[in-house]
Amino acid sequence: MTLSRRVFVRAGSLGLVSFGLDPLFLSRAAYAITRPAALPPNRRTLVCLFQRGAVDGLSMIVPHGEEQYYRERPRIAIPRGSVVDLDGHFGLHPRLAPLKPFWDAGSLAVVPAVGSPDGTRSHFDAQDYMESGTPGVKSTTDGWANRYCQNAREHTDTPFRAVAFGPQLPRIMAGTAPALAIDDLRSFGVGGRAGNSDRLSRAFESLYEGSATGLLATSAEESFEAIRMLKSANPSARGAEHGAVYPRGRLGDSLQQIAQLIKAGLGLEIAFADMGGWDTHVNQGNEQGQLSLRLTELGQALGAFATDLGEGMRDVCVLTMSEFGRTIRENGTGGTDHGHGTAMLVLGGTVAGKQVAGRWPGLAAEARYEGRDVAVTTDFRDLFGEILTRHLGARDLSAVFPGYSAGRSVGVIRS
Amino acid sequence: MTRPYLLLLAALSAAPLGAQPALSTPRDSALHVLNRLAYGATPGLVERIAEEGVLRWIDRQLAVTAADDPGLRGVLARFDLLRTSQDELARSYFEVQRERRADRRAAVSDSAMNTMSPEERERRMPPEARALRGLLGQAPQLVMVRAVSSEQQLAEVMADFWTNHFNIFIGKNVTRVYLPSYIEETIRPRIFGRFEDLLVATAKSPAMMVYLDNAQSIMPGARPEQARRAGRRRVMMVLEERRPTGLNENYARELMELHTLGVDGGYTQKDVTEVARVLTGWSVARPAQGSGFVFNGWAHDRGAKTVLGAEFPSGHGQDEGVRLLGMLAENPATAHYIGAKLCARFVNDTPPDGCVDNAVGAWKRSGGDLREVLRAIFRSPDFWAPANRAAKVKSPLEFVVSAVRVVGGAPDTTPRLAGAVGRLGQPLYQHVAPNGYPELEKDWVNSGALLNRMNFAMQLAANRLPGVTVDLDRVLPATADRTALLDAVDRLVLGGKMTPRTRSAIADQIAQITDPVQARAFALGLAIGGPEFQRQ
Repeated sequence: MTLSRRVFVRAGSLGLVSFGLDPLFLSRAAYAITRPAALPPNRRTLVCLFQRGAVDGLSMIVPHGEEQYYRERPRIAIPRGSVVDLDGHFGLHPRLAPLKPFWDAGSLAVVPAVGSPDGTRSHFDAQDYMESGTPGVKSTTDGWANRYCQNAREHTDTPFRAVAFGPQLPRIMAGTAPALAIDDLRSFGVGGRAGNSDRLSRAFESLYEGSATGLLATSAEESFEAIRMLKSANPSARGAEHGAVYPRGRLGDSLQQIAQLIKAGLGLEIAFADMGGWDTHVNQGNEQGQLSLRLTELGQALGAFATDLGEGMRDVCVLTMSEFGRTIRENGTGGTDHGHGTAMLVLGGTVAGKQVAGRWPGLAAEARYEGRDVAVTTDFRDLFGEILTRHLGARDLSAVFPGYSAGRSVGVIRS
Repeated sequence: MTRPYLLLLAALSAAPLGAQPALSTPRDSALHVLNRLAYGATPGLVERIAEEGVLRWIDRQLAVTAADDPGLRGVLARFDLLRTSQDELARSYFEVQRERRADRRAAVSDSAMNTMSPEERERRMPPEARALRGLLGQAPQLVMVRAVSSEQQLAEVMADFWTNHFNIFIGKNVTRVYLPSYIEETIRPRIFGRFEDLLVATAKSPAMMVYLDNAQSIMPGARPEQARRAGRRRVMMVLEERRPTGLNENYARELMELHTLGVDGGYTQKDVTEVARVLTGWSVARPAQGSGFVFNGWAHDRGAKTVLGAEFPSGHGQDEGVRLLGMLAENPATAHYIGAKLCARFVNDTPPDGCVDNAVGAWKRSGGDLREVLRAIFRSPDFWAPANRAAKVKSPLEFVVSAVRVVGGAPDTTPRLAGAVGRLGQPLYQHVAPNGYPELEKDWVNSGALLNRMNFAMQLAANRLPGVTVDLDRVLPATADRTALLDAVDRLVLGGKMTPRTRSAIADQIAQITDPVQARAFALGLAIGGPEFQRQ
């Protein structure tokens, strides 16, 4: 019996005795009823990497062909000599050099002026909008990755269909479709490596089956199913391949474990990891300094991930995102303030790579957003939607991005 | 959904498993207030409060003036951090920073530091740096000790609420050095005072000014009058950066969005910039001058400003900021935003309108007296409504503290118990964003997090949780009598409200265990890690 079927059966019997019937729980149960019978899990995977804090797109994908860039940033511009050139106009920050081979091989595309149609410069609002997928609408309760899972029912859920690495489930994956937050695959379970872990697991399972209500019940159910699958697939036994070396730290760990889940064939369709430290108001630095350290970690982790998966990248697409960009002009404290458009990277086997995608508005005063920021020429929903459609095979995005009809093709995924 | 069906649902959800509808005994009420105004019950406390009278107990909790439980003084005396002044901490911090820079120049490059193992880094750390780190590491554990052991439970709950509302992140530069005074001198003395006083105190606190960058927001182009070399260098050390040269809007925005009006509170980007201009010059004094608040007249924008339609004529210096904060504190949007946030904390994730109205009414009548706002919430029918009991899921902090309390445990002075809260997803003082940790069930309940809670419960029940002393034999003697064991676990952990289903599930699990100590650990761990104890 599939996980959701069991959840539903239990939900039916529990409803009458529960303390609190919350709507999320009810809709999860309703969702389970209408789900189709088992189909093979989708092979394709989307990995979303959120750079929380608003990354300075102009330091990540450097418009080194533009004089204005150097005029506005006397202290923090990336010198022409150290930019890793991509197309004569744009180049990678030198610490992202590990990604250059993927550009050359045609599996990396960059979108230098993407963002939200909403002009908020609040991190929390902007992150919220980018994760809910409904810019300007606060009342949305679920995230777009979860709505994709709710609506793309041609694929079967496994507990690992949607996995976020971290202690809490992020907004982007919140909602009625099952989604898993994993801090560390190796310690996922009850009782750790102790001998009685199976027994403990069974004990808690029966306890939650009997007495849990609402989100506690469905979350527990998802947990125990996941434990069983992990135990038989044992993804953590798979070491990094092809000489890949992941950097120390949470991002490298998360990406390595995402690679392990993909290799283990556990049905991972959307993975999520995030990374902080991008809110560089003060002493941002150029090719050295604060921001460069974050980019070092990002470049090394992404490079290791793609190297590790090797041929497996054929079915994988990695998308970086950040809530907004930063001011074109450096501020009085050697940093940059909250801006508007930013840059995103798209890496993978289905990517129409070696291209700078979307229209580049330029940095000229009249081309800017509110006179100070990089303008947004690609709505993030155009980019995300194209990846969902062309990479994962979504047929209908109307429920994933409600109120939004797909705009221009960004052309980052080969059709 | 039709209305009768909704009513049916409401009735069903209010009546647990065949219980008489909504007959609340004094013990039930005592358990409810302990779940909300406190971090849960300790052995025997439900009975004591039921006997004292629940309303009397609430009044006693509200009557606290300084959050300083006399019963805790002995334990707190072991925290050196409480005896170290902010100035001393700051001096020590900058000394360590200076040494580290010298050390870096001498040998170790950035990248070498980054590839070092934590043990290597620890070993390389100079003694002064290690001492400072140990001292500052006491801050999260202080939270644990107070939350677990203080009799003034509501004061501790409110200290957490306001610290989270005015969140700072200790990972940002020198903020961690200013944290102790932020907690002890800025937040804790004002938790039951007027909101405006709390707001002004946080605005002037070095921790907030560094965290949200106001310390370095200056009128563009302004320079110190006395640009003596030495003085300037020290200022730069405080700020850990080159001399600031312009406006920074970070604090101005969060002040309105998160601290006062709320994001829909009716301000514009223009207001944000104007608020930033008003607050130019609010900064941090250098260590030799006490590392406290300083108003730098030279950095202040002397032009006229307009905030939310109100004129701020030029030339009023620091008073402009004080007036601005008063204006924000008095704005009705603030009363509503914070009233609703308090109701979400104390009553229901979706704050009932009636409760919010009561809170806002009390706010207006009392001029933002936080004690009166709380009193109104606790008197609100919504607070007592059966539908709102056990309606909230505990945050990791609430779960860990309530679990330790329920077995009568006592945390030690090491950071280990605070570390457990961090592993469950809520590392104290480490929420990066100024919005603080979330309050809602959906933010905390997910599969991975639940498993972590189960693991925590098993460790605690086996008395293997590092950083806590538990005398299980005192609160829950091991016994071969399974019925007696289940009764005792029910009484201790769930206030006697364990559902028959939970009871039979636990009974099944311990049936095959012969060793009474093991059976006790299993039953206790299942009860604490089980679904009912996750709610409050």
